[in-house]
Amino acid sequence: MLPAFLVVVGFMAFPVAFAVFISFTRTNGLRYEWRWFDNYIALLNDPIVAQVFLNNLTFLISVPLVIFAALIVSVLLFERVRGWKYFRVIFFLPNVLSVAVIGIMFRNAFGYYGGVNQALGLFGIEPIQFFTNGTTAIAIIILALVWAGFGYQSLLLLAGLTAINPAVFEAAAIDGAGWWKRLWYITLPNIRRVLGFVFIINVIYTFSSLFGFIYVMTAGGPGFDTTTIDYLVYLRAFSSTNLGSGAALAVILFLFIGILTLIQNRVFKLGEED
Amino acid sequence: MAEEDVVVSKRISAGRGQVPIFIALLVVAATIIYPLYFVIITSLRPNSDYLQNPFGLPGVWTFENYVNLANTYGIGQAFLNSLFVGTISVSIILVLASLAGYALAKLPVPGQKYITATFVSVMLLPGPVLIIPIYLMLARLELVGSYAGLILVYVATGLPFATFFLTLSFRGIPDEVIEAARIDGAGFFRIMWSIIAPMGSSGLATLAVLQFLGAWNELIFAVILIPEESMRLLTPQLASIGERFLTDQPLVSAGLFITASVPLILLAFASKYIMQGLQVGVSR
Repeated sequence: MLPAFLVVVGFMAFPVAFAVFISFTRTNGLRYEWRWFDNYIALLNDPIVAQVFLNNLTFLISVPLVIFAALIVSVLLFERVRGWKYFRVIFFLPNVLSVAVIGIMFRNAFGYYGGVNQALGLFGIEPIQFFTNGTTAIAIIILALVWAGFGYQSLLLLAGLTAINPAVFEAAAIDGAGWWKRLWYITLPNIRRVLGFVFIINVIYTFSSLFGFIYVMTAGGPGFDTTTIDYLVYLRAFSSTNLGSGAALAVILFLFIGILTLIQNRVFKLGEED
Repeated sequence: MAEEDVVVSKRISAGRGQVPIFIALLVVAATIIYPLYFVIITSLRPNSDYLQNPFGLPGVWTFENYVNLANTYGIGQAFLNSLFVGTISVSIILVLASLAGYALAKLPVPGQKYITATFVSVMLLPGPVLIIPIYLMLARLELVGSYAGLILVYVATGLPFATFFLTLSFRGIPDEVIEAARIDGAGFFRIMWSIIAPMGSSGLATLAVLQFLGAWNELIFAVILIPEESMRLLTPQLASIGERFLTDQPLVSAGLFITASVPLILLAFASKYIMQGLQVGVSR
């Protein structure tokens, strides 16, 4: 018991406190100069931070896309056609792959010599430089996010569907409700809690875990067009002279995600009561 | 229950053909399988052959890309490094988490509520918050650039979920069995070894697979904590190969497949365990 607790406190809880401390200082990692809120004030006035935050908001487009895809797949799986268990494993597959693998696979596929440009070439279209333009680069990262995420989330939704009392479906079927009607009036309302849960974890993921994709796909470029907050923390930490700035950004991110988590808990409590 | 609703849903969908649904599922499955198939096939041909006819089968089959990666870019060494770090991390996590999980599930631990609360809240910590303080701490301890530092980080980040998971699965072991063993004079470690470990074996296996995948696939800490190129793990090595060889798709594809191979093998042979772990993720 004790060793586990010590490791967790020492390397997770303590670092958070340490990060808060660093964020109030100006430091190169060796000497710390206490500066109160200077780093925070500088961040709030930093146009790059504003741009990066907007990028994060743009990446939120992936959330409805991935949920929509997951929903369709889960409803299909719920019909339990022959072999649905094998499909389940296939849909889970991207989830066991490293972000590095998925990111590089997509970067490759949309690269100058990649499969997509080769396919366009068959129709006589000149190769497109997807990653020199911020908008297309973001679109491809979003595509990678959807590809990587929809399978797992469809399984989460499937678990929600399975929990619906089958008698409800049976009654509706006897009353003559068609497939679409059942989907809209029974299935969706009954899984709204799971949908809410999936929604929040996606939002949190978009703000905290895009680092790997950005790192291998665009390195934040062109310019800062695809840089996200978590990637900016990394950039500030390892390519600037003031670690305090990166730490302050990390703390802001931490608070933001903390608030999202609280909202999630609140929503869940409410969901359990009704 | 499960069987019952299979019957019901069969009854509902009876009359409607299952064929369209099956085809739709096939199409979705193809969007996952085809890119992987493309990567594997591409990795087995020379670059010139790829550029000539990327979508057909290779005109020339070759392992040259793999040999090249191993000889010139040290991918074999990186593979072994990842295997080493992953195995050690998982072993330490399993030992520490079983002790903690057993204590939380079966023993009266003072302050249990607070301990559980700490573990659960720490589980939700976003990675980017940790990179600066952990880097500075490990630098102070002179552990940057050593596997010990990286393993320590993997153990710390893996433990909260591991403990939580094992606490749940050990709770299912009946108290009577443990009580009986204790009356027979079995000590703490004897109980752990001959009762908890075998009876919780499916939980332990699930956890081992999940944690190994986590360590194998991790990128951020592997990048920042191992700056030395000859010591690199597989994912950072793959990232740098991908960055350097934009024009050589087959070479990068070979790197992709090497990195993906271990998780794919695990999924093929341990999908049962991985799916079980998923259920816990749902109930969380």
